[in-house]
Amino acid sequence: MILIVGGEGSGKRTFARSLGYREEDMADGCLNGLPVVFHVERMVFASPEETNLLFEELVKKEVVICNEVGSGVIPLDAGERLGREAVGRLCIRLAQRADQVVRMVCGIPSVIKGEEKRP
Amino acid sequence: MLILLTGGSGCGKSSYAEALCGKLPGPRYYIAAMRPYGEESLRKIEKHRRMREGKGFKTIERYTDLASLTLPGRGTVLLECICNLTANEMFHEDGAWEDPFERVIRGVEALLEQSRHVVVVTNDVSSDGRLYDEGTMAYIRALGRINAALAKKADTVCELVCGIPVPQKGAMVW
Repeated sequence: MILIVGGEGSGKRTFARSLGYREEDMADGCLNGLPVVFHVERMVFASPEETNLLFEELVKKEVVICNEVGSGVIPLDAGERLGREAVGRLCIRLAQRADQVVRMVCGIPSVIKGEEKRP
Repeated sequence: MLILLTGGSGCGKSSYAEALCGKLPGPRYYIAAMRPYGEESLRKIEKHRRMREGKGFKTIERYTDLASLTLPGRGTVLLECICNLTANEMFHEDGAWEDPFERVIRGVEALLEQSRHVVVVTNDVSSDGRLYDEGTMAYIRALGRINAALAKKADTVCELVCGIPVPQKGAMVW
């Protein structure tokens, strides 16, 4: 499994396409048979208590794409705060299981875990 | 040696910092700057305390004015975290400093003078692009300046991303 993280609009899906995946291979914030899933953070925010189940499903995917959401002011709203924390914790677990972790900054991929494979 | 660890919420900074300090010489002091303010923070403090159990840390709770803190011995200090310390200096009755910059930086310098190694945990709070009230905006800017000054002073700066240390300055010598 390849984990791709980065901020909104940082080029995560563009990078997934450069690996050979097409838009129709990518599931938008839901679990189905597609090999790629993105907007994982939205799934966590929708049901933070089901993160364990979500994790078990995500590790079966080829590519998991998640927004980094932890780099803002700590939200006053408790639900938002816990959801944000849950996204971070889930990404740590996904990164531990991933063969490769790619972090996007301004469209530039950095491989922060695993071997860099040039598509 | 001064080591600065940064990253967003839930990126694994605390666990990494504690593991790193375990490799550095003792005595080990954990300076806790998080002021308890409700059930959630008490739970978080309790969780951090449990994580440190058995790792040989002596916990010192200190919410402001690190510059006047005297450490009992010369070893490794883990300061967690600059975002809480800065907020305490700015917003609490025994803080209430309009510009916390000097107080926070002097505090870290004082720890460095008394220690072999200081590991400082900070947080990136500036990347949600929202406009907050004037006080919060002042806090975000102050924290940004403090982080930059600490990074300049630091031998090593690492950002934690999904629990993975990503070097930003210097070598990871541990």
